Order: sequence, then structure tokens, then C-alpha cells
Amino acid sequence: MRGPIPDGLRWAAVIAGIATIVGLWVLTSTVWASDGFAVPTIGATWAALVEMWEEGELWLDFTASLERVVIGYGISVVIGVTLGVLIGSMASVESFFEPQLGFLRYIPASALTPLFLIWLGIDEAPKIALIIVGTVFYNILMTADVARAVPSELINAAYTLGAGRLTVLRRVILPHSWPGIIDVARINLAAAWLMLVVAELLAAQEGLAFRIIRAQRFRRVDRMFALLLVIGLLGIAFDMALRHLRNRSARWAVD
Amino acid sequence: MTSSSDGADQSGDETPTAPSATDATGPMTRPGVAVRGVSKTFRAGRQTIPAIDGVDLDVGAGELVCIVGASGCGKSTLLNIIGGLEEPTAGSVTVGGDTVVGPGPDRGMVFQAYSLFPWKSVASNVGFGLELAGIPRAERNRRVTDLLSIVDLSAYADRKPKELSGGMRQRVAIARALAPEPDVLLLDEPFGALDAQTTRAMHDFLLTVWQRTTATVLMVTHDVAEAVYLAQRIYVMTPNPGRVAEIIEVPFGPARGPMTKRDPRFLDLVDEIEELLLSTGTSSR
Repeated sequence: MRGPIPDGLRWAAVIAGIATIVGLWVLTSTVWASDGFAVPTIGATWAALVEMWEEGELWLDFTASLERVVIGYGISVVIGVTLGVLIGSMASVESFFEPQLGFLRYIPASALTPLFLIWLGIDEAPKIALIIVGTVFYNILMTADVARAVPSELINAAYTLGAGRLTVLRRVILPHSWPGIIDVARINLAAAWLMLVVAELLAAQEGLAFRIIRAQRFRRVDRMFALLLVIGLLGIAFDMALRHLRNRSARWAVD
Repeated sequence: MTSSSDGADQSGDETPTAPSATDATGPMTRPGVAVRGVSKTFRAGRQTIPAIDGVDLDVGAGELVCIVGASGCGKSTLLNIIGGLEEPTAGSVTVGGDTVVGPGPDRGMVFQAYSLFPWKSVASNVGFGLELAGIPRAERNRRVTDLLSIVDLSAYADRKPKELSGGMRQRVAIARALAPEPDVLLLDEPFGALDAQTTRAMHDFLLTVWQRTTATVLMVTHDVAEAVYLAQRIYVMTPNPGRVAEIIEVPFGPARGPMTKRDPRFLDLVDEIEELLLSTGTSSR
């Protein structure tokens, strides 16, 4: 069932998958359309997108959201990778962080929003903090798993070749974990977008999610669709970029 | 790392004080490996389980010695203690005259499988120990080239481990362990994951490398015929707790070949050891 398939079949499946979605969209927006369940046509969505672009708001929203995700998630990845690798390689560090992580990871990040708004004001800081808190525990715990998965034979081989602990960390655990770390960052990026939306729903003057809320006020479903499309495509772009980075920088791990 | 300097010289230069190493009956001319009264217990809940109990073992410089035993007899634990990867509960180990206190490049180790760095080329795997020792690039490259020709993998210097067969990977692992010119090469079931044909080829390969490099080799295996074919001396270990049941001198010279396996003494010895393992393996549990 999981065996390889011919290239032709693979592409046929991909195209069929896209066609199904587009087909459903076309049907729900035309033949199956009803007053209570308004779905804009592809043409209307495109027109809304162009309209927002020409108003100049779309670019501002796009850059504002992108900036929040890049800064917040970037910090989250740096913290997550550093702590995760240390936790995954040293039992003492793991024991030190175990109680804190066990407690904190069950607190929904969105429940901290009011606290962040009181502490950090309503500008960028609480939004970035929310993205960090909403993703950093996943990044830490999943990176720790990746570091734990380094075969002990590799570590022992390095020790018997004269490596010390720091050398083992730098020259064995890090390079072996690298492709896994990129995958962790790639998977948890979705959670970063989730937290971005939570942040922009609460207090923002610009941003893609903020703009969706605004569109709701005017029942502009076409604009909502256009904005969702932008978020989705941005997600795919990030995903592909990270996959590319992994496959280029860790060719040994590509099968 | 071992406690004092003066690692036994592997360069082939005869030091004036050392007796001739070519004296076939004198394996103790240079200090090799000396294990004295080594015991190791593990804790499992409230219980302490003895893994190995009071093991003495000697490997003279330039010797090839095997430890055979069924799984659970503590033979790999013993090898890890000599390698410095585990600490003994009691007893001591000296290698090249120095007490073992941790892992170090004076004891090269080869494991059953999966121990090559998959992101490094064959040449950088072999050169890793030399790199850690701070040996300059030019000298390092020269020695890596030599080692790759010894293990007959010169054409694969730039390949990644996953492009090699299982037997080739173990040859790389052996070359890598030999690179820092260790006092002893410790092999932990190095051919255990290979198919029968490859294993046979690896036996003759190991004998060739051993003779060309005059390395001291201590190998752990569960395969009795393998041990008899390769070793000059065999330590037979039995479990619960792991002890040396018998030390057997193998009556063949260093040169082995297909004829060795047809020698009636070969088959007798294999039978004798296998019976020993069978009788003691079931008695205590």
C-alpha cells in the first residue's frame, strides 16, 4: 500500500486532487449556491484580491502578518532547538526542565492572551509573545525527540575516536539532528499561523487575519476567501522552502 | 583517555629496551590489554543483577583474541568496559600499560552496525579521529589514503556510507578505528549483521589487515567457528553471571585459510566450545 508508484500516476493523483477542490468550489459557488451559504465564485474571489491589492491594504497586511510570524516563530525555533537539543542529549538538563515543560505545555497559549495584553500593551510585543508561547513547547519537545534518536553507536564511536562531550554535541548530535530539526520547524509552522490569527483577532490595525474580521463586518465573503487563499499559499511557500533547505543541506538523509 | 603518556608505539620502530616483537611465543613483550578482576552489576529496581563477575583477561600486543559466549553472558559489557564506555563495579583495566578511565583514541572500537557518520564521506569518516587529534590536513589525507588502500576502498573515498554495502561499511568502520593507531582494536560482533558470504570474506579481510598493521585485536562474537578461525586464543564466557569458563589456545599459526576449516582439530575445537556453551548456558537458570 505504501509502495512507490510510477511518476505518471503520482502526477495524475496530484492533478485529480487539485481538480476535486476546484470542482467543489465551482459547484458550491454556482449550482449549489444558496442565500444562507454564500460562497464566492473563483472570479469574484480573484476580483476581491485585485481590489484589495489596488487599495494598497493587502501588501501592508501581508507584510505585517509575515513580519510577526517570522520574528515570533524565528525566536521560537531558536529557543526550541537550543533547549530541545540539550534536553535530548543530557539527562541532567532533561530532569531540570521536565516539571516546567510538563506544566506549561498544557496551558493553552491563547489563554495567556489577556495576560500578555496587560503586561506587554497592545502593539507588536503581545502578538509576537503569543506566537512564541504557542509554538515553543512543541519545538522544544519535538527537537528533544529528534536529538534522542541519534543512535548511541554514533555517539560511542565519536567518543572512542577521541571526541569530548562538546565535540559530540557539535559534530555528531547536531548534524545528525539537523534534517529532523528542519522538519520539526516545518510542521510547527502551522501552529505559528494559528497563533497569529488569535493575536490579530484581539488587537490589531493591520494583518491578514485582522482583515478577515473586517471583511466579516461588511459580509464580504469574497474578500475573506481571497485572504484565506493568501494565507494558505504563503503556508505552502514556507513549507516548500523548508523542504528544499532540508533536502539541499542534508542530502544524506534524503532517501 | 588513559592516565599516562607513552602509548605503545605502533610505528614499527623498535625501541631499544623492548624485546623483539617477532618472538612468536612471547605475546607479552609489549603491554596489550590486561583485565583484572572486573565485575559489573546492574540495578533493576531493588535488585542488583551481576552482569559479569571477576573476569581476568589478557591480550598481548599484536595478538588476535576472541571472546565467545551466548547473548547475555556480558561479553559486550566487558568490551565496553575495556573501551571505557562503561565503568566496572570492581576491578581494573589497563591498555598499553595505562589504566582505562574513559573512552579514548588509544582503543579503537567497531560496533555491529550503524556506526558510520551518514553525513560524512568515507574519507572523512576514516579521517575523523585524525581530525580530532589535530593532525594537519595534508598528513591526514595521506594517512586516510593509506588506510583506504589497506581496506581496499580507495575507489569509494568520496561516497557516502549509504551508497556502500554492509561489508564495505564495516571495512570503513575498521579503517576509521585503526586511523588513530590505537593500542588495541575492539570489535563488537562486527560481522553479526552481514550475510554468510560477506562474513567469510570479512574474516580473511580482518586477518589480512591484522597481519599488515600488526594491530592488537580483541573481538567479541557469538559465532564459535568464527572465533576458532580468527583467534589465537579464545575466552569462553558463560552467563548468570558472566564469567570466563575456559581459555582455549587455538593450535593454528597466524596464517589461516580454507584448509584451516577442514583441519579435524578445527572441527573438534568448535564442537568442544559449543558443548561448553550449551552445558553451562542452561544449568543456572
